[in-house]
Amino acid sequence: MATFNFKKREIECKIVYYGPGRCGKTTNLEYIFKTYKKQIAGEMVSIDTEGDRTLFFDFLPMGLGKIKGCDVKVQLYTVPGQVQYSSTRKLVLKEVDGLVFVADSLEVRREKNMLSLKDLHENLKSYGTSIFKVPLVMQYNKRDLEEEGIPLMSIERMDQDLNRQLKAPHFSASAIKGQGVPQTIMECLKRTLLNLQKQLKWAK
Amino acid sequence: MDPKDQIISLLKEADLYQNQGLLNEAKERFKKATEIIKKSPDIKNGQALIASIVKKVVDLNQKINQINQATSKPTVSDNKQNLIKKLFAGGDEKGDFTSALEGAIALAKFGQFDRAMKEFEQLLDVEAVRVAAAKNIVRCHLETEALEEAALCFEKWAGDDRFSIPQLDKIRFFLEGRFRKLGFERELYQREETISDEDMETLEMESPPTETPQTSRDAVPSHEPAPVLEEMELPEEDEFLDINSVGIQLPSGPLKGRMVEFDVSFQTGNSINLIIASKESSLLNELSKGTKLTDMQFFSPIAILNGSGVVTAKTQIKSGPKEGDYSLDITILTT
Repeated sequence: MATFNFKKREIECKIVYYGPGRCGKTTNLEYIFKTYKKQIAGEMVSIDTEGDRTLFFDFLPMGLGKIKGCDVKVQLYTVPGQVQYSSTRKLVLKEVDGLVFVADSLEVRREKNMLSLKDLHENLKSYGTSIFKVPLVMQYNKRDLEEEGIPLMSIERMDQDLNRQLKAPHFSASAIKGQGVPQTIMECLKRTLLNLQKQLKWAK
Repeated sequence: MDPKDQIISLLKEADLYQNQGLLNEAKERFKKATEIIKKSPDIKNGQALIASIVKKVVDLNQKINQINQATSKPTVSDNKQNLIKKLFAGGDEKGDFTSALEGAIALAKFGQFDRAMKEFEQLLDVEAVRVAAAKNIVRCHLETEALEEAALCFEKWAGDDRFSIPQLDKIRFFLEGRFRKLGFERELYQREETISDEDMETLEMESPPTETPQTSRDAVPSHEPAPVLEEMELPEEDEFLDINSVGIQLPSGPLKGRMVEFDVSFQTGNSINLIIASKESSLLNELSKGTKLTDMQFFSPIAILNGSGVVTAKTQIKSGPKEGDYSLDITILTT
């Protein structure tokens, strides 16, 4: 849950990038870190391991400036995607305010996407919240690989697999090229802040 | 598709998956390509191609093994440990010692056991968090499967004047419970309350006239060990495990005896809150303020505990998405 300092008129919220291993969560944050220098409020910290896999989390603090008289700070996190880091994923997810689910467009990763979404659903449930309640944006990543003749799932199929019930806004992306990354984070921020505004009434 | 094109396509995919870190997927593609080469005698340099693929698969296997064998929670740098404390300790507005305890707990949750234990050790000097710190040291040992060390730690504290007998009892009950769950049999030495001659003189001076003990408990001779409790005494608020969901066996009504599971919507120490939909009238009728729940199961990320609780509040939600549903507060009595 976001923290709201009434005295300082400061709000700090947490957005988590979730998804299967190697889907491009860290790449999303790296692009944001490179591109939005003005809004970045510190260094990006990555705790990774063998083969550049995220071990605990990536962390990127951002400052969005004043919105409706309130200083808005955002903490971006990624979770480790590998199946064995389940407990760490859950720790990072605690008190999340907004979510980006990064799905891998590669056909061979179809099942992993679905398992990761199920894992997200279960972890949120364990914290007493529902995937339908937390602001969520879907990102279908690695679309650039189509040009290289690698079998990808169609957007329609991914939407059918992952987003049929959620009906979350979705974006095609190539995080490595930065395509779709700004749209994804902007939409997630917009939804997260609107949701917090409803809960905390901070913009009144 | 022509076998040659098929092989080219599979090898291209395999290389790309390998670059993406999708090692198992790359291996699968290499294997498929090998199968096709074997079935296609017309492929030029088929054997050389297979040999080159075999070498790549061997490399892939090595990488996969490295990843699988890597410890899931290695020790990270001091700076990263500091960041973990800062981000996951829940703020420092609760006071020095509680924040310090939460910081150390965050480190332990991320597997930074050595530093966590050092920080817990320092907190043993602080009365208010001593038991919590001690239990967490024990937890760290148990997490690293150092069961004997956990027992030795307790025995060291048993001879340490900082710990009172009731504090040691709490830790012992906790540790014995964990040992039982792990099937580890180990007797724990604990000092008994001793009275010095000086104390005896004072006692003789101040003691009231001797009375016959009125209850069987009073009748237990002081030199006998404390009776083993069936249920562990509740730890302090800070030491509570995060409880994700609970199972409640309904004490009465048409659903009597049935175990019903609920998600915990939030938890503060030994108090948990559940939301029950208004349509669940048969459940709601059986759960009122004051209802004692003698058979409960608590599901935490690391353990399932049996225990009991009492409903301390039941209120209907007046607004928001859960309007009309009921919010139930349950205080956990024993686990």
